Amino acid sequence: MDIELVKFMFILTVMSLYLNFAITLYGVVAKVNLVKKLIALTILQDTVNVFTVLIGYRLWRPGLILQPPALTDMNPTPEIIKDFVERSVDPLPQAFVLTAIVIGLAVTLFLTTIVLHVNYHFKTVNVDEIGGMKRRYIHEEAV
Amino acid sequence: MLRDIIFVTLLIIIALALSYLTYLGGLGDLPPQDIRLIARSYLNLTYNQGVNWLWAASPEAVTAIVWDYRGLDTLFETVVFYGAILAALTVFRGVSKLPDRIVSVGLSVVVKRTMAIVTLAILTVAASTALHGHLTPGGGFQGGAIASVAPLLLIVVFGKQLFVEKKVSYNKLLTLRNASLGLLSLSTVALLIYGLATNEIGYIFQNQAKALSTLSYPSHMLDVPLGGTLFFLNVFEFLAVTSGFTLVFTLLLSSEEVILKEFEGEEYGY
Repeated sequence: MDIELVKFMFILTVMSLYLNFAITLYGVVAKVNLVKKLIALTILQDTVNVFTVLIGYRLWRPGLILQPPALTDMNPTPEIIKDFVERSVDPLPQAFVLTAIVIGLAVTLFLTTIVLHVNYHFKTVNVDEIGGMKRRYIHEEAV
Repeated sequence: MLRDIIFVTLLIIIALALSYLTYLGGLGDLPPQDIRLIARSYLNLTYNQGVNWLWAASPEAVTAIVWDYRGLDTLFETVVFYGAILAALTVFRGVSKLPDRIVSVGLSVVVKRTMAIVTLAILTVAASTALHGHLTPGGGFQGGAIASVAPLLLIVVFGKQLFVEKKVSYNKLLTLRNASLGLLSLSTVALLIYGLATNEIGYIFQNQAKALSTLSYPSHMLDVPLGGTLFFLNVFEFLAVTSGFTLVFTLLLSSEEVILKEFEGEEYGY
């Protein structure tokens, strides 16, 4: 495999993640349906997570043996550990992403509960209609 | 229409701005030629018996970072997670006390039998992910998230009354969740308490022996690395996540009348 191709594919992945980021942000801001907003938000979370893991990537070079990227010896000598450090990718972004996924899951659950609540209360999940209802209600109060 | 055009223009600008920042080198060399210095030290130390006052006794660097090197971060993350579940439970506070009026017969026999086998497989994978969290990729959170799919599917396939028949009540799940959280907190301060009792030095979130403290969780069990606290924290986290998610799923899948009764309120709540 050519190293230029690897670099090109990496840049392409980063660009496609930016595009994904923009599209999902559009979904969160512009869609009037709360469920669609929620779906866009989860895809946005996943995009950011993939991007974070990508930052910990290590460039493959011809002649560099990357497999296996884990410690397989349970009684490692200093040489084996040195070899492992040379092969392994950055574990810190992965640990951050783990945190982000769990928090994201909790936020998604909470938002789902709220959307359900809104649906039971207003009989719709369209934010424009809900806004119209509120305006009508305030107008009636004033009259 | 004008609104859409404005949005699309703004988003194109965002994508272009991010690309330009990347082009200027905002993320460093792309693709990265080497890992960062801090990552090197984590990888060097995580299972290095030669530096056994700094090691985490776990060959899995991610779990070692999550529950040992940055353990306090994860503890507060757990607090946020349970805060969110608690918030969801509070919104549905009345629903849990009402008996559900829905009586469903579930899906067909074929689906039920298949589901019984699949449930076993899901729980096995979940337990394996959680219990091997300190050896292979995985851990308590991931195992818990996998395991909580099983009750969700069970409710859909067998009907909501399955949990009532099997006596898996709201209070039991809540007790399991709280007990796991209590044990999780206890295992983070266990060595500190032991140290205070025996007049030795112990630290909060201590895993293996440190330079000034000889207290230590076991690093191996039957020749297999145990990772000290990592194993216990993974197990308790697994139980807590599973029971917490099961609680929220059972509440979210309550019948509409029961939830509406709770939400009708006393006044116009706009």
